[in-house]
Amino acid sequence: MNTRALCLIAALMACPGTRAEAGILGKLRGWVGLGEKTVTAEPKKNMPRIRIGPFSGGTGTSAQEALRKELVGSREFLVAGAGEKAEFTVEGSSIGGRVTGRLRDAGGKELFQRSYAAPGLDDNLKAFTDDVIFTVTGRPGLATSRIVFVSDRSGRRQVYICDAGGGEVHQVTHDRHGAVSPSLSPDSSMVAFTSYRSGFPVIRLLDLNLGWERGVTDTPGSSFGSAFSPDGTHLAAMMSFIGNPEIFVSDLGSNTAACISDSVGAPASPSWHPEGRQIVFSDDTGGGPKLYIVEVPQKEGQSSRLFRWRTGYHYCTDPEWSPDGRSIAFTTRKEGEWAVAIKPWPGGSARIIQAGGAQHPSWSPNGRLITYVQHGELFVHDLRSGSRRSLLRGFGRVSEPRWMR
Amino acid sequence: MPAFVTRHFPFVILALIPSCGGIPMPAFLKNPSDEAVVYALGPQDGWRSPLNDGLKPACPALLFEDDEFSLEETHERPIRDLAKEMEGDKKARLLIAGYAPPGLPQDHARSISDRRALAVRQRFIELGIEPAHLQTVGYGNDFSPSGPSSSVVVIYRQN
Repeated sequence: MNTRALCLIAALMACPGTRAEAGILGKLRGWVGLGEKTVTAEPKKNMPRIRIGPFSGGTGTSAQEALRKELVGSREFLVAGAGEKAEFTVEGSSIGGRVTGRLRDAGGKELFQRSYAAPGLDDNLKAFTDDVIFTVTGRPGLATSRIVFVSDRSGRRQVYICDAGGGEVHQVTHDRHGAVSPSLSPDSSMVAFTSYRSGFPVIRLLDLNLGWERGVTDTPGSSFGSAFSPDGTHLAAMMSFIGNPEIFVSDLGSNTAACISDSVGAPASPSWHPEGRQIVFSDDTGGGPKLYIVEVPQKEGQSSRLFRWRTGYHYCTDPEWSPDGRSIAFTTRKEGEWAVAIKPWPGGSARIIQAGGAQHPSWSPNGRLITYVQHGELFVHDLRSGSRRSLLRGFGRVSEPRWMR
Repeated sequence: MPAFVTRHFPFVILALIPSCGGIPMPAFLKNPSDEAVVYALGPQDGWRSPLNDGLKPACPALLFEDDEFSLEETHERPIRDLAKEMEGDKKARLLIAGYAPPGLPQDHARSISDRRALAVRQRFIELGIEPAHLQTVGYGNDFSPSGPSSSVVVIYRQN
């Protein structure tokens, strides 16, 4: 039980910024629709029906057709045919790739109108699609979401990014000796990763929009497993500069860090509760890693509670909290092989969703899908239908996927 | 209870007292000062990495089972021998690098390898080596040392 007060350990000085990898998000275009590779039918009972109304302007027809694909691919709606009733209607205009979109309810009331002026028509329609999904369902859409992962296809382990359909893959890092353990900020504008460029593992931050990069930890020892807080202002990670590996929470604004664990073992892989008040991590104090929950102190000097969370499995690592905070996915062992399991939080029975070597699960922003790796291949698993499909095959050995939160 | 014990109970108790030193003290009775002191790591500036330089191991690699990180008896001799060597060279510095086997989940492997390196460092400190002369790093299974096993700690001399 950890009753220690929050103590600010050290001011971690930020390294001077360096220029690298400018505008990666700007290159991410050409969305591959998630539904196009679907292998099983979706439960359609409760899906709202949406009508795709007219789109005026020079690129209006193209916009209308592309929007239809996006909405069908999102698997959040049934697209109403001619003469069918619909609960919602989308319409708008598109000139030169720019899009102005409107969403109306069945009574004709305008729910929102927004303009999208990214360089490409596809990017604008993805953003519009996600706005429509969020307005209607209250859940984030996946059209603009991203997955970061590690691959050794260049000969060294480097960080890559792709869209939720496994398309538009870009190499994010080109570090000497490689880069590993990535995570995306909630708005997917930043990637935190562990870089080996100096020969020692150091956590760095890369701004994908501006291309600026800076160090988060300039501390001795090792730094791994970074995870952004839900508001993107803090980073949890394993660090060992105090002579003991512990889970620290770094304030990205002030570059200070607070120790939140009290380990005599090997802690790793912190993941935040969506409200940012608790962190789950694995810790091996002998006999294999187990999962622990620690409350994150909200004020300096506040005590925190740390306790073991029993899953029913002896070996549990790589935990990640679901976006709604109701479940935790983790890697475990079944019959001598890695398996991905989910257990409801705070209590309930754990169930294995994929055995046979699956590991390192990460939830989609809407909580309906989970991505994981199996024998170096990247998969996405639909929790509603139980079906799965390969996102990346033959892209070197893929590991450590993290979906944007 | 055997008749011998009941008859000679006071003598049995007296006979057991000298062996009490070997009985572990319950945690709640321990004085906090009995705990091993953990020394923070010094700055990494000026330390050479085995990834950048072809550093040679200062002694045979210390082998660990699976995902174990506690020191075993077999580790004691090479650590002691190296500590003795260092007594004669006050400027000597050691980089203790932990590695983990490729089958383990990556982040867990990194933490295990770091914990192994820190356990070896702690033993050197107990043997009288200046903490500032010891640096650690955990490479998990991101890199493998040269040798038949990657479930090891390799100690590199810096000068």
